[in-house]
Amino acid sequence: MPEENPPLRPLIPGITAQFPQDVTVLPRRKDMLAVLKVTPARVAEVAKYLRDVGSFEHCALVSGVDWVDHLEVLYHLWSDSLKGYIELTVDLPSEDPHVPSVTEIWRGANWHERETWDMLGVRFDGHPDLRRVLMPEGYQFHPLRKSFELHEPEELEVKARHV
Amino acid sequence: MTHGLWNLRIKVDGELIVDADPEIGYLHRGIEKICEYRRYNEVVTLMDRTCYVAGIAWEQLYIMAAEGALGLSPPARAEYIRVLSQELQRLSSHIMWYAAYVQDIGLMTPFLYGMRDRDLILDLFQSYTGARMTYEFMRVGGVRNDVPVGFTDRCRKVMDWLDQRIPEYEKVCDNSTIFLDRTKGIGILKAKECLNDGITGPMLRAAGVARDIRRDRPYSVYPELDFDIALYDEPDCYGRYRVRMEEMKQSVRIVRQVLDWLDRNPGPVLAEKVPRFVGTPSPPPGKETYVERRGYPKGRGFSSMEEPHGEAMAYIINEGAEHPYRAKLRSPVFVNIAASKDYLVGYRVSDIPAIMGSVDVCVGESDR
Amino acid sequence: MTATIYSVVNALVVLLLNLLGPYVPGSGPYGPFVATWLSYLVVGGIVLAFSMVNVLVFIWWERKLLGRFMDRRGAMHVGYAGLLQNLADGLKLFRKQPFAPKDADEMGYYFGPTAYLVFSMAILGFLPISFGVSGGLVPLSLLVALALFSFAPLFIFIASWSSNNKYSLIGGMRTAAQLVAYEIPLLLAVVAVVALTGSFDINTIVGDQASYGWFALPLLLGLIIFFIAMLAEVERIPFDLPEAEAELVEGWSTEYGGMLFAFTMLGDYVRALIGSYLIVLLFLGGWSMPWGLSNYPLAGLVFFQVKTYIVFAIFIWVRASLPRVRTDQLLQIGWKRMLPLAMANIIWALALVVWGYPNIHWPVM
Repeated sequence: MPEENPPLRPLIPGITAQFPQDVTVLPRRKDMLAVLKVTPARVAEVAKYLRDVGSFEHCALVSGVDWVDHLEVLYHLWSDSLKGYIELTVDLPSEDPHVPSVTEIWRGANWHERETWDMLGVRFDGHPDLRRVLMPEGYQFHPLRKSFELHEPEELEVKARHV
Repeated sequence: MTHGLWNLRIKVDGELIVDADPEIGYLHRGIEKICEYRRYNEVVTLMDRTCYVAGIAWEQLYIMAAEGALGLSPPARAEYIRVLSQELQRLSSHIMWYAAYVQDIGLMTPFLYGMRDRDLILDLFQSYTGARMTYEFMRVGGVRNDVPVGFTDRCRKVMDWLDQRIPEYEKVCDNSTIFLDRTKGIGILKAKECLNDGITGPMLRAAGVARDIRRDRPYSVYPELDFDIALYDEPDCYGRYRVRMEEMKQSVRIVRQVLDWLDRNPGPVLAEKVPRFVGTPSPPPGKETYVERRGYPKGRGFSSMEEPHGEAMAYIINEGAEHPYRAKLRSPVFVNIAASKDYLVGYRVSDIPAIMGSVDVCVGESDR
Repeated sequence: MTATIYSVVNALVVLLLNLLGPYVPGSGPYGPFVATWLSYLVVGGIVLAFSMVNVLVFIWWERKLLGRFMDRRGAMHVGYAGLLQNLADGLKLFRKQPFAPKDADEMGYYFGPTAYLVFSMAILGFLPISFGVSGGLVPLSLLVALALFSFAPLFIFIASWSSNNKYSLIGGMRTAAQLVAYEIPLLLAVVAVVALTGSFDINTIVGDQASYGWFALPLLLGLIIFFIAMLAEVERIPFDLPEAEAELVEGWSTEYGGMLFAFTMLGDYVRALIGSYLIVLLFLGGWSMPWGLSNYPLAGLVFFQVKTYIVFAIFIWVRASLPRVRTDQLLQIGWKRMLPLAMANIIWALALVVWGYPNIHWPVM
């Protein structure tokens, strides 16, 4: 059993009781109130529960990490009453990743999800307007994937000379 | 629009705005991707380029996350110098905002007043970091160097000058009926909408929500400093202006306290046990650049701070390598622009500069 | 004395033609015709030169004064205290190639700013600028000047429409709305002056002021209305909405470059010059001077110019200290505040006339 956090005492058992199959409590880091691992299918429901019951009214960040064999989507939520962040992580397959959108729950997640789609190619189901936001429309790649290799300028020069 | 390159597509009915769709990305440099190819201290250079009016804020944001990921902590004096830099940067950023904002509304005189006073702060920066805009000053585990001799007195003089100037800025605007007509009741976004839209910073505090990361989730040495959160209860352009003015006064207050501390407590400014690979430059091209550092602990670092524009976050994953495995930055401006439809619709085309100006857009930071 | 620039020039031209004798057609059957048109040309040249010099100094004056208001120095490198800076800027613009955007209607595109400048400058031909000095003597000079003055929105609209740019078009629309809204209070303020003098001739108006004192005193309200309406008419801050650079790029002149842009800029300043002239002529006594000095045309001219520059300095002061109003606020100020005030001003002027201005017998209460 991971170390418990006093402000979250009623919430964490509540959420594990509500979603016994889908939420795992990961070891706590000192910069987070709690780290929860959620299965992809139930993300929106867990998020709604956290907003309504847990008073996490501010969705600060939706981001993602490419672990080569799988993708991880991270949600950071802030609560004004608890004065802290909670982290949700979701593991997704590398090929054709899908996760429910939380834009319905926090409008502020809109562009974060668009950016995660843009950068990592994660599809957010139910997002009202999932377009690219930083890269141009029609761009083929998802630049933050590890398969998208960045070349040092010197390296490119060397290659150009050999061609 | 001014303030960098971005595109606001609006649908108008006569001069009335009925729909807005902001488009960004024109300044995207892929900083998050480049971070994965640079050593920890090299990334600092990129962070300055993130936001061109608040470079040092992003340096500290990154450094705090990196220190969390690497498990390091800086000495106290370094923390105080960082906070000093933060607050000076907040002052210069808000003065820059003020100057640009009145310029957007059509008043040019305070623009030059503001730019002139901002120069004094940039001079201070130059005297201890060597640069005016891209400082490259912070290091993992501390800061690059201590402040020079006589710096605190010079800084106090500038603060005394700002004590006179900030009320003057306020006078220029508050005594102008046209300024009040242009800003009051314009660009309203109520507290509930703000929270839903994820808006942070002065925009949120103007709506009466007392959220300030410096106070709510204290980082660095902010708990030891005495300051108030600037609040206003009118969520319009005027309220945002008032909040920023009040924040400038509070920043002056914080800077004074930090200067007193710095005078009393000499000491080192860089931690002793910084792993060597953090500081050495990347190997020349052609060699393997992604090396596992055996024995060095893995970790994740997270930091959030109250940047001049709002709540900024950095998330860094250290996989035991010389480079961050993943660096994610959250820009407050990114979110604040995203919500622009909610506070633009229903106002007029001539209100756009007044409203978007009050958001304090910094495109370098939203596009990264 | 009714000597005008035109009559002097005409006399000189006739003399010259007579001296040249049979070698030019000046003395043949077409003689008077040639002489007349030659004098028109010369007078036009004089007006052009006069207004250009004035405009250049005006811009310099604005730059310097604005600089002082903003804690800086303004132009200072070209010429003494930057006096030649505007000339240098003008030359630079003059060297540029004129071209029209691909989708613009070329005729309107070239015609708009040119006509704007030409019609603005033409007004100067009708304004007497010192004792007995004017381009041509017109009995209704004030009426002609104001009529020409109100042509500008048409040309701005043509220019903005034919540039085929949405910012230009919005700017042009705003100009039309703004100038219509402020033309009326402006003219009503003039009506009060005309009521006091009973004449549309600026010479008479200035003469009356020389005898009975400046109209700024009895018609202070009228002066204020005229001043504010003039600010809007010449599109200066706080009423520079047609070229609000924050939202409309450069307003109706967005698509212009090179000399055409210089035309729009010059047109603005010529109009500002005329606006200042009109304020001085109508309310501040024109060239009339104490101690009978105003009978000397040159002294009158200098005095008149000094007053004009002081009036323009107030324009600049306003620009340095006020932000820009919004479109709806602008129209509200125009229709809801200025118009009733202008009406009240007329009633006040009529009352003054009824009470026997300038020898007022106050009605017994």
